[in-house]
Amino acid sequence: MSGELDDNLPDTDEARDDPLLAAEWSLGLLEGEGLIAARGKQASDPDFAWRKEWWDNWFAPLADEIPPAEPSAQVWERIASAIAQPEPRSAEVVALKARLKTWQMVSAVTSAAAAIAVMISVFSPTTTSVAPSEPVVAAAPAPLVAALPIEGTAVRLDVTFIPESDQLLVAAIGLSADNVHDHELWLLPADGGDVQSLGIITPGKVQRSSLSAQITRNLAAGAQVLLTREPLGGKPADASPGPVVAKGAFSSV
Amino acid sequence: MLRLADGDKTALEEIYHATRVKLFGICLRILGDRKEAEDALQDVYINLWQRADRYDPARASPIAWLAAFARNRAIDRLRTGKVRGGAVPVEEAAPLADEAPLAEALLIDLERNAQIHTCLGALDERTQIHIRAAFFEGKTYAQLADQAGVPLGTMKSWIRRGLLRLRACLEASERA
Repeated sequence: MSGELDDNLPDTDEARDDPLLAAEWSLGLLEGEGLIAARGKQASDPDFAWRKEWWDNWFAPLADEIPPAEPSAQVWERIASAIAQPEPRSAEVVALKARLKTWQMVSAVTSAAAAIAVMISVFSPTTTSVAPSEPVVAAAPAPLVAALPIEGTAVRLDVTFIPESDQLLVAAIGLSADNVHDHELWLLPADGGDVQSLGIITPGKVQRSSLSAQITRNLAAGAQVLLTREPLGGKPADASPGPVVAKGAFSSV
Repeated sequence: MLRLADGDKTALEEIYHATRVKLFGICLRILGDRKEAEDALQDVYINLWQRADRYDPARASPIAWLAAFARNRAIDRLRTGKVRGGAVPVEEAAPLADEAPLAEALLIDLERNAQIHTCLGALDERTQIHIRAAFFEGKTYAQLADQAGVPLGTMKSWIRRGLLRLRACLEASERA
């Protein structure tokens, strides 16, 4: 086997074909930029989406080897309370509904499950814990936060979304510019939709920006954010994203 | 599933009761932590409730679709870095209640089951081991390479070569 390394082997990411990328994604091998590329492709390329599903279907029987296990009874209670709200079901509100449901889910989950301690500390002025049994009646939707630790450093990027004003705050304190690269922030919608740029970060600053409705509708707890290293000016339109240097996921505060 | 798309809540409850032990087993295996696995499981059914219309009965059996869906969600969760991950030791898996709901009846399409095993079994053993570790433990290329003590590019070559052969074998079986 080891002598076959010349027989057309895709050992670089550029050399592999799309069906192979779909297989890698289905198997769960991808992370970082590969994952961004795959998710982006799924939204824009029906053949690719079909192939991903093809692999999913073929791999699914393997799951029969996994021993079944019984979850605790609270899981169903939480699901039931999350779906309890009656609401209209029409095509127009699907996107909105998905977002609302996510909110309901988050408020039904215990604080321990919903928030990472680190994220709570970001928002210490507000209440730091929510009793699981207390229904959360939010007059204004709660902010979403994501912490992105920068690999190999003690520094992290804090990203906060304020739904009331559709504003995004990106705190890049402790980061410094190298004058050769820019770093671009990306949103991976929780529903598997297209990857969206949240813009280039400004090292050493807290930056505030207003987001378009196209982006805010994908901002919900569970949506992932990635920071990639790009040429100055951000990712060129025709290039793949650069290496991922930090990642995190939004959760409700 | 069709009733679900129409917004029938009792349909979701029935599906939950019929499938929870299987899907929880999958989440637990990937995440290696009961709490995380329960959160992932909850996420799966709530998502299912919201997006049952995405399920296409012509394409896959409901349980195969659900199993893949649960596994994908668990891996998403693993990749957000909230959990350390790793396969769950067998002893940690919760004992099953006696009325073990339908675990046997949930066997996914027997024919496809046999075929994927045949095609996987045709790969060399090393490749099989790595592909299985990716499937069952949610390992990335980097983690597999690390584990095996080989360069990342080598691991990618091994697995991609295996996946190409697997695809050829599965496609051949579809044409048969």
